[in-house]
Amino acid sequence: MILFWLLIVPLIAGPLAFALRKRPWMEAVNLAAFGIELCLALVLAAQVLRGGPVSLWNGFLYADALSALMVLLSAVAALWCSTYAVGYFRQDERDGVLQDEQTLLGRFVIHKLREYYTLTPLFVFSMILVALANNLGILWVAIEGTTLASVFLVMFYGRETSLEAAWKYAIIGGVGLSMALFGTILTYYSAHRVLGIETLAGLNWSVLTGNAGQFDKATMRLSFILILLGYGTKAGIAPMHTWKPDAYSEAPVPGAAMLATGVLNCALYGLVRFYILSSKCLGPQFGSQLLIIFGLLSMAVAVPFVLVQKNFRRLLAYSSIDHSGIMVLALGFGGPLGILGMLLHMTFHSITKPLLFFCAGNVQQYLKTDLFAKAKGGLIHSMPLTGAAFLMVTLAVTGSPPFSLFQSEFTILRAALSGGYFLLAIFFIAFLVTIFCGFLVNVASLVLGPDPGLPLAETCGWKKYSVGGLAAVIIVMGFWIPAPLFQLIQKAADIVTGGR
Amino acid sequence: MHFVPNPELGNRIITLMAALVLVLQIASVGQRWIISSIRIFAMQSFLLGAIAAVIAYFNQASHIYVVAILTLILKAGVLPRLLERLVEKIGIRREIDPLINVPLSVLIAGGLTLLGYVVAESFYHPEETSAQSALGHNTLAVAIALFLIGFFAMVNRRKALTQVLGLLSLENGLFLAAISLTYGMPLVVELGIFFDVLVAVMVLGILVFRIRETFDSMDVSKLSKLRE
Repeated sequence: MILFWLLIVPLIAGPLAFALRKRPWMEAVNLAAFGIELCLALVLAAQVLRGGPVSLWNGFLYADALSALMVLLSAVAALWCSTYAVGYFRQDERDGVLQDEQTLLGRFVIHKLREYYTLTPLFVFSMILVALANNLGILWVAIEGTTLASVFLVMFYGRETSLEAAWKYAIIGGVGLSMALFGTILTYYSAHRVLGIETLAGLNWSVLTGNAGQFDKATMRLSFILILLGYGTKAGIAPMHTWKPDAYSEAPVPGAAMLATGVLNCALYGLVRFYILSSKCLGPQFGSQLLIIFGLLSMAVAVPFVLVQKNFRRLLAYSSIDHSGIMVLALGFGGPLGILGMLLHMTFHSITKPLLFFCAGNVQQYLKTDLFAKAKGGLIHSMPLTGAAFLMVTLAVTGSPPFSLFQSEFTILRAALSGGYFLLAIFFIAFLVTIFCGFLVNVASLVLGPDPGLPLAETCGWKKYSVGGLAAVIIVMGFWIPAPLFQLIQKAADIVTGGR
Repeated sequence: MHFVPNPELGNRIITLMAALVLVLQIASVGQRWIISSIRIFAMQSFLLGAIAAVIAYFNQASHIYVVAILTLILKAGVLPRLLERLVEKIGIRREIDPLINVPLSVLIAGGLTLLGYVVAESFYHPEETSAQSALGHNTLAVAIALFLIGFFAMVNRRKALTQVLGLLSLENGLFLAAISLTYGMPLVVELGIFFDVLVAVMVLGILVFRIRETFDSMDVSKLSKLRE
């Protein structure tokens, strides 16, 4: 029953926010819905830890440790982002960013806010459905749903550049997902020959995973390649990453943060599910090679763009391409360590990344630009909290100790060494270090330096507390992971390695 | 006594219609008018719906009838109507300057069809001589060819609306693959996919309209402000 509530809460919150029209109500509905969602996600995680997989409606919805982890990450990201969104959009409203030039009417502002507060819960609904769907076809439908709900978030500001970004996002995402659908059809086909005609259960994860060993090998090979290309496009791994910098820099900051955590996780989750099937059918070697190639390529692509980046919103997108590369690479290294490293990295990344977006958003709203060249530096003098948090989260995201991403990257490195990939490990370290340097130099030039004499920024409470609170969580996570969370991650890793 | 349909006959009908779908796809590559591209898409979808109905009849699988009817209503009826209305609103009827000229595009489409057959060959299992698997084999090649040609059309065309049409015909290829290989995905999945396609077309339609309003053109190559 808990699975039902997890889905119904955001599904109701969207239309409810649409019906209520008044800004405080819409904000309250969103915050309340995501707060409840997080509680439900915690309950689900506890249930899965105690009693194993949960299912509902004849196994139409199904949650094992991996799904519970995904639900938890999506819910946390949604709650943080909607808290920040309250402050962010109030600021936008004060600055008149949302005003239509022709009419200058207040109604337009409400219209825009309504769009955001209605679409976000629907967006979250699709993300939760991705994690809970047992049927791999429904998984595809839900991932497509995340795209459709978020296209409007990308073109939120209605500028020429936002339209361009939204178009790229929709078309590249559409083509990528059609490849993933083809892969899903082929998986169904290869399973169909083994399982016979079973109309509904034939695509169910819980059925497929037991029989994957007997699937048709040629079909599964093609299927996995298509799935990797398809969900890889959604995860933004190179060379299908071109939509990412545009979409991340044009979407409003809370929406972009959700794209960078939720959608990325969903796409990787789909990939992981098919990776399990393919490694059961073809052995882990086949998938690993492909994953390593794409993962390393994504990291390599991110390096030059991080080094010479002119725009700090686009910088975040390249960081996200880098991180999805790291996760795909970790999956490719495989073995218990690689999988554990990947899931740890996914968890820590989803907790850390939103703060980076929030800080960049604060800076952008204050300076009214997202170019390094137009910012004079020395922001720490006018924005003490944001500046300090920005520096801290830069260190955290680039994986420097003591922050938690260091632990996961170190685990992945150990996986590479124990798997015998010495040359690749050297590349991995080289890319990480270069990105660390580039990122730090860029952000430091923005935050540090002599006082340019700007007035002290007025930051409202919503923004202050979401930035400060998240920063505190990140610091704590560097030293201490709650034992149940780690247990959940380990259980999820066992599912991927097939140990159960 | 039950009337047992002759599978050989069904096989022939399906092969014939699949061939027609492929011919339409190649014809759309050489098309210069947006309206006729949309009509070709509608005809193609109609044929796909008919193929689904034939498969449902010869395999006595009732859930495929639902899929067939939905295809006929949505893809052959509603979607083309929506797109035609969009064309009228935008006021662009004739496009289309493809990157590659028409004769060469048709040639490339032919090459992609061959490629489709080569790929489909690897799925052929000669040990299974039942009519069903042979049926899948023939149409899978067509489905892969549709997919590849749709992909090519999207790269080749620069107008936003024709890219949407390319995406739709690519999706038609997937539909053909799904019904011919496995007699349809589970019904829930099919319904989900239909819903997604419908919403996707509306989203893309809104985008096309906004692009046209903002840029005074539908040419995607004008979307080039976002660069490093």
